[in-house]
Amino acid sequence: MVNNRNEYSSTKRNWIAGIIVTAGLFLLPFILTNFGKTGEYWIWVTTEMIIMGLFAMSLNLILGFGGMVSFGHAAFFGVGAYTVALLMKKAGVSLFFALAAAPVVAGLAAAVIGWFCVRLIGLYFAILTLAFSQLLYMIVFQWYTFTGGDDGIHGIPRPEFLGPLNYYLLCLVLFIICFLIMRMLVNSSFGLTIRTIRENLERAKFIGLNVRRFQWLNFIIAGSFAGLAGGLLTELNRFSQTEFLHWSKSAEPILGSLVGGMYSLLGPAIGSAVLIFMKIFLQQLHKGLVEIWAIILGLVLLVVVLFAPGGLVGIYEKAFKKS
Amino acid sequence: MTIQLFIFMLVNGLSHGMLLFIIASGLTLVFGVLRVINFAHGSLYMIGAFLAYSLSTLLTTGTLQSFLLSLLLVPPAVALVGFVLEVLLFRRVYREEHLLQLLLTYALVLILDDVVRVIWGGDPRNVARPEIFAGSVDLFGMALPTYNVFVLLVGPVIALGMWLLLYRTRSGNLIRAAVWYPETLGALGVNVSWVMTSTFMLGCWLAGVGGVLMASLANIDLGIGMEKIIESFAVVVIGGLGSIGGALLGSLIIGVGITVLQLPFGRWALVFPYAVMALVLILRPWGLFGKPER
Amino acid sequence: MPEAILKIEGLSKSFEGSQVFNDVNFAIPEGELSSIIGPNGAGKTTLFNLITGYHVPDKGKILFRGTNIAGMQPFHIVGLGIARAFQRTNIFPRMTVLENVLTTVISARKGNLSLFAPFRNHDKDHERAYEILENVGLADMASRESGTLAHGNQKRLDIAVALALEPKMLLLDEPTAGMSPEERWHTVELVKGLWEKLKITMLFIEHDMDIVFGISQKVRVLCYKTILAEGTPKEISSNQQVIEAYLGEEV
Repeated sequence: MVNNRNEYSSTKRNWIAGIIVTAGLFLLPFILTNFGKTGEYWIWVTTEMIIMGLFAMSLNLILGFGGMVSFGHAAFFGVGAYTVALLMKKAGVSLFFALAAAPVVAGLAAAVIGWFCVRLIGLYFAILTLAFSQLLYMIVFQWYTFTGGDDGIHGIPRPEFLGPLNYYLLCLVLFIICFLIMRMLVNSSFGLTIRTIRENLERAKFIGLNVRRFQWLNFIIAGSFAGLAGGLLTELNRFSQTEFLHWSKSAEPILGSLVGGMYSLLGPAIGSAVLIFMKIFLQQLHKGLVEIWAIILGLVLLVVVLFAPGGLVGIYEKAFKKS
Repeated sequence: MTIQLFIFMLVNGLSHGMLLFIIASGLTLVFGVLRVINFAHGSLYMIGAFLAYSLSTLLTTGTLQSFLLSLLLVPPAVALVGFVLEVLLFRRVYREEHLLQLLLTYALVLILDDVVRVIWGGDPRNVARPEIFAGSVDLFGMALPTYNVFVLLVGPVIALGMWLLLYRTRSGNLIRAAVWYPETLGALGVNVSWVMTSTFMLGCWLAGVGGVLMASLANIDLGIGMEKIIESFAVVVIGGLGSIGGALLGSLIIGVGITVLQLPFGRWALVFPYAVMALVLILRPWGLFGKPER
Repeated sequence: MPEAILKIEGLSKSFEGSQVFNDVNFAIPEGELSSIIGPNGAGKTTLFNLITGYHVPDKGKILFRGTNIAGMQPFHIVGLGIARAFQRTNIFPRMTVLENVLTTVISARKGNLSLFAPFRNHDKDHERAYEILENVGLADMASRESGTLAHGNQKRLDIAVALALEPKMLLLDEPTAGMSPEERWHTVELVKGLWEKLKITMLFIEHDMDIVFGISQKVRVLCYKTILAEGTPKEISSNQQVIEAYLGEEV
């Protein structure tokens, strides 16, 4: 029998595993630096994994916990990215201030867009989020003088002390902080409320919940975290581009959430890391395999949708429960 | 801007609108019966376009025979792809939540688009127009491309054909009944899953027709599937999901809107479908022709 | 006669041109246990939907303790003190029985915006939730996933969720629908017991006339788009109009 008091909070075993993995993640770059160019490449890859993991987790606050399918989450990722890019490149603001501004600006964007979107449910919600994000994409794409349009914004400065290794550590620390905040959120009364609405939106109204208000707040929170992720990726790449707002970018956290497991907090991050790793692994295995990466991704997704909608975490939990 | 230029753009816009209608009506038809919004509809349309290209290279391109043969063979081929997809995949998720259905069709987009890339590559292609459509028609002293006028006329023919099929035949009655009373239909001994499969195939057939027509209208490349599926979303949102008449109106609005707005706004006109879509969803989420769910 | 807790004046409602209610009037005194009966399609559930804000009336007033609640949002009406349990089981299936009640307890004290404190550590909420579960006899199933409960227990959980709102008035839409005869009487006893214990106003829809006449203080008959008759069980069971209305249905 499931003891649901522990549904999202970790058991003792999970705590130990968590500490070991965290310690490993902190040590990893120090080991990798000994491997020259390859090591540096892998530090870059793992930094990207961390950032995209944060992005996926942010989406999952509305997707898995809130039951709201958004096809436009990249809008907030992109807003965060361009906030950092524009503030640093055009206004000469320092990195830390820019990184602090990213979630705020993205949260504001989410407040505006979300205000309209939460009035709709299900499919219509999904389409409206898509419409808004594509609208934003088109604007960034067309507004050449401000956003650089198709070319994006390049050459974003990086403070001296933030080499690849230190930047990795910065991202990791921020990831852990965000994870802990999100963990508190999903375990709080607010988190329970959000799950209540996911489970039965109509009934939720009849237990006195102003459903739209809570969905809106959740949407804003999710948008803010996405904005931070976007800002971090911009600084990692040292450029921002329209791709960050494109609908295909919105798909990435969905895929990650689904593969990792959208009914858990960490699942989406694990899922995105697995997908990024898989892509690189296939590249190493055979160049031709990356040519058909989308086909492979699609097939993975098909299998997950049809046979394991709980994702990797779901599979793990099933196996764990049976033993 | 002269009146003539405006008329020219209008005719152009109407023909793009009609092409969009052919594609979007398939999407909305499938949604109406299957309650699944098929993201991969645009990919199927793209497959149709590239099949038309391949067929034209096998035949003497630019002849009427080759064009008609494409129109005859390609849409059924796309419908066949649809048959396989419906039976193997879609059928399994009708009872699942929206999320999983959407993700399934999204997975198909990834797969089908990449298959097209692997087979045909990323270069833009086009199919020469058959001679009799290659020229232009004189209207109000302006030369309008004959082919555009032809596409403009095919749209109403398809609309009429669908209306006759849905409202004047037994199969059409079944399809319409499946929209409103699927359980009752099943209880009456109708093979509902067959109705669903054939509706899906009909939707794919329409996507195929759209593809063939597109191949000679403009360049085709790997982006056309996504472009048209998003425009089709705008169309069905405007017209109301599941409404064919709404799809006709929505297509004309979007087709004409994008084309005509290009005059004053240039590429900013591409924002139009998204803006309309957002506006309709905010003000009247069930569309102009649809009914509110409650 | 005590003050009316709910007073309905001139209520009318149509759906797509067909009228469901035409000028419905009645008042429910505070603390009453009463029932609404009527032939199929008379609009009993629709009446509940109008009172709880699921539908907006075309005309008329719904006065709850003096406030006109007609057209208010459901969550607002709940906040004023009207709770309902549903005809078709309507719970939060992938949450535990305890969580179903807990989330409602939190909602009742407007604690949903507590973003960081774990809801599991709030002892008062837990005590309250367990108390309610005891009341409906589900305490020993607290940690079960609610969607896996038997039908009868799900209906009782639905009632528990409504009770957790500490309503002043409780609307029960066929609390015994789909239950076996023994379960039915068990639930009826439960409802009656709760009414005696909590001293709240209860209004329920029921098909089983034995139950209706067995526990209601007052019965209202909904027919021909309005309240056809109103009275004690005895009065209603001998009312000629009511008998005809029901006979008309059965022929």
